[in-house]
Amino acid sequence: MSDQAQPKGEKPTQPAAEDTKISPAELKKRAKAEKQARRAAQKEQTGGPAAAEPSTNGATEGGQEEHELKQKGGQQQKGQQQKSRQRHGQKPAQDSRPERPGQSSSSTMPPRRRPSQSNTTTSKPTLQPKKEKREIELFSHLTTHPRLHTAGTTASISKDIHPAVLALGYQYSTYTICGSSARCIEYLKSCRPLAESMGNAIRWLKKLIAEIDPAMPEHEAKDFLGEEIGRFVRERVVVSGKAIAATASKQIKRGSVVLTYAKSSIVEKTILQAWEQGTEFRVIVVDSRPLFEGRKLAESLIQAAPGLELEYLPFSGLAHAVRDATLVLLGAHSMLSNGRLLSRVGTASVAMQAQRRNVPVIVLCESVKFSGKVALDSIVLNEVAPAEELLLPFPASSAAAAGPSAMTSTTTKDDDDDEAPKLKHLKDWKEIPNLQVLNLMYDVTPAEYIRMVICEYGSVPPSSVPVVHGMANAMEV
Amino acid sequence: MPTSTVGHTPSLSTFLKSLKTNDIESSIELLVSLLKRRQIRNSRQCALATTHLLLSVVAKERIRDAQKLIERIRSVGRRLVAAQPREFAVGNIVRRVLGVVREVAEDNEDSSVGSELLSPGTPTTPGTSEARRPHLPKTFSEFTPLHGAAALPESFQTGLHASSSELESLAADSKPQRPSLMSSTTSYAAQGPSLTSLFSILQHPAGRSPAGSPGMSTPTAFSPSMKPSSSRPATPQRPGTASGPKEKMDIKAEVIDGIKELLDELDVVDSQIAENALDHIHSNEIVLTHTSSQTVQKFLMTAARKRKFTVFHAEAYPNNHEATHATILNGAAGDEDTDERWKPLTDMGITVILIPDSAVFALMSRINKVILAPHAVLANGSLLAAAGASTIARAAKTHHVPVVVLSGVYKLSPVYPFDTDELIEYGDPSKVVAFEDAAFAEKVDVVNPVYDHVEEDLVDLYITNLGGCAPSYLYRIVADHYRVEDVDLSSKEGVGAAVKAA
Repeated sequence: MSDQAQPKGEKPTQPAAEDTKISPAELKKRAKAEKQARRAAQKEQTGGPAAAEPSTNGATEGGQEEHELKQKGGQQQKGQQQKSRQRHGQKPAQDSRPERPGQSSSSTMPPRRRPSQSNTTTSKPTLQPKKEKREIELFSHLTTHPRLHTAGTTASISKDIHPAVLALGYQYSTYTICGSSARCIEYLKSCRPLAESMGNAIRWLKKLIAEIDPAMPEHEAKDFLGEEIGRFVRERVVVSGKAIAATASKQIKRGSVVLTYAKSSIVEKTILQAWEQGTEFRVIVVDSRPLFEGRKLAESLIQAAPGLELEYLPFSGLAHAVRDATLVLLGAHSMLSNGRLLSRVGTASVAMQAQRRNVPVIVLCESVKFSGKVALDSIVLNEVAPAEELLLPFPASSAAAAGPSAMTSTTTKDDDDDEAPKLKHLKDWKEIPNLQVLNLMYDVTPAEYIRMVICEYGSVPPSSVPVVHGMANAMEV
Repeated sequence: MPTSTVGHTPSLSTFLKSLKTNDIESSIELLVSLLKRRQIRNSRQCALATTHLLLSVVAKERIRDAQKLIERIRSVGRRLVAAQPREFAVGNIVRRVLGVVREVAEDNEDSSVGSELLSPGTPTTPGTSEARRPHLPKTFSEFTPLHGAAALPESFQTGLHASSSELESLAADSKPQRPSLMSSTTSYAAQGPSLTSLFSILQHPAGRSPAGSPGMSTPTAFSPSMKPSSSRPATPQRPGTASGPKEKMDIKAEVIDGIKELLDELDVVDSQIAENALDHIHSNEIVLTHTSSQTVQKFLMTAARKRKFTVFHAEAYPNNHEATHATILNGAAGDEDTDERWKPLTDMGITVILIPDSAVFALMSRINKVILAPHAVLANGSLLAAAGASTIARAAKTHHVPVVVLSGVYKLSPVYPFDTDELIEYGDPSKVVAFEDAAFAEKVDVVNPVYDHVEEDLVDLYITNLGGCAPSYLYRIVADHYRVEDVDLSSKEGVGAAVKAA
């Protein structure tokens, strides 16, 4: 494997992978979560790309990869990744259910695939009854992934999954890596396609694999793929990020008040670039529960640009934040083909308030995140995060975040418990009938709120998103 | 919220207890300090505290003259309002009490003077009550609490009215008195009162201008009885009207009765609002609400007895999420001193879905109705509510979802929001970033606004204890409840300065 094929994104995964090797119990949990995530992702993927790829080609390629993987222990990681990629790449061509046995029978090592498959099916029923009651009707179509820290996994798990994959899955589920860019990079090392950028990456990779001459020797093909992946990461993510930051930072003028919501790496880059250029401006960070990404953004801005004037508001202060702002910079999870922006939940409100105050809303988005999908509202295309995330920070945050008042509140809660045992805590929400907790991940911002989308091809109106998407994601390679 | 959670710190209940033992002056001081320290907050608690305080002021003071009583209440009210100008309920209650005193005083005058002078043909009963009404809007529209209407140049006011009506400017003396514009709007607003309002137009200049007016033949008879207020306290007729100490005693008793009525109103206001619930919530509806509010909970519970629906509850992080969670889980807290809680909605078979504030826009397309509880309602139909309400209301407007605001009349303030910034209170930043995170907090300006101003065009319906009405009609309810001369409590001194000091 050439060095080029090791983009920087991989580095965090490898130490983590070593960690996982140490504790097999943890490893099991991770594997489990990863599998479920992947299952969900695969479901999602089946509807996605409509690329006409000769399925046999993909299958043989996958077989080759696996075969090689088995033989070479040292190359294991890469092979694993590619193998899993292969699996996904194949998905659209064949139907999801029958595909697996077919593939595993054709591949040289069925046991690896089978246990995982059986595990997921066996573990499903144990989780299902608990979840069913809790699913909110409107969102029953959206899969809720039980996250690691919540899912009490007892089922046996195949140890054949490569630790790097598990570690990455773990990172996804704990939001260590969250946001489409980071996930896209990471995707190329492993897999859990959820972000649109991942979808595009898969499609690209699939196409690439289809184009490879089947006569090419295995290791050559693999090297080639590795190089191509490295190139893809550099071109589409790293370089385009720089290009966008360069363009967007010109929008930040002296005296500007830049408002941003949650955390986007590209917005961060833009702000830092403008700061390095010596522009004097102010940044307002609006944050929301439960992820508090804005806080992370603020912290890293403090680190990277000491002296930058920063204001930090909770989501409830949005109306006040927008009042002062002169520019709203938003990151994207994905740009949809009808010009709408799919981004962290709450973004739509930010854009709405900004538009009402006539503050220009600019979306910074690499073309790899452009999507062929369309959506009218935030209900259909969305991800429901487990409700526990909304709850768990609650005692922690009130204890940590609200100092004295939290102390009093917790003490009174104890008091309440003493005098009236019927008082419940939100932690027990599952026991309370009719109570549900909804933790959405994304929302869709209407196109009319967006003044401009800056991608590496330049600045375009939201209506031009499908054009750029066609250019960037369909034609290229 | 320290008040609602901590039992031993001063709160409404401790204040009410101390009110029985302490003398007036120290009670006033206590309430002022409680308000300043935000140990009494929320419209309801402020309203209750103020009413009780004024009740004991009236009961314990040995003032017999109505005019002096008004002055006394005004001065107390000024101190309370200056202590916490953003708790509009305090000012509202003071104004209501002043209105009670004035009404009682006028009734007495009517009985003494009116019985002799008013001809039987004149529509006395509706006239006395209705004729006062039209005074108001002109003043509240010029009035903004924190800058103080007093700041407005007189010439500006008169100029305004002169432009509105030629005849008016001729008739008006130095005080800009008769808003003809306004009376015409009243006639739009309500069919019933319009007659009397027009009647009062005619009447008013008659008292003022030597030219007289065609409508009334007995202007002198009316001026003391009908508008003692507009012809300010110092009107020469006034001392003559009160005929003896016996009547003055009656004034006090009647005022106390009036204040007690006010207390009763505060008691039943939620139930009265809740009575409307079934008119507004149909079965299988999806309702969104925000923060914890007794009024909203009671409203939803009333509907829940008959119908099944779904409630999305936004949690109002970081200022009120704990109370919101408690409300969802354990039911709304009753009055804070009683530990009773109502049943939570979930116990009544209502599906309650807790969401973070940020998810509101995403869900709005599936929501049928947004129900908000305000902190204060302003005269133009806009309102102040917990932070985040503006985003919710605007998202609802975007999705054409009706926004219903449940508000007792005591939250209705004659304040007109010229500058919404000054109405917003900024809360404890440690709720956003903990003090322990000093490294972070030092380098970042942490802002935590407590209230949002929601524009009147975002609200579709107000439900008060008097029934439902459009935001555009609110000024009329204001006019019914507050007397024009009480709107600006701070007329004696600049409240604007006091605010800055506080």
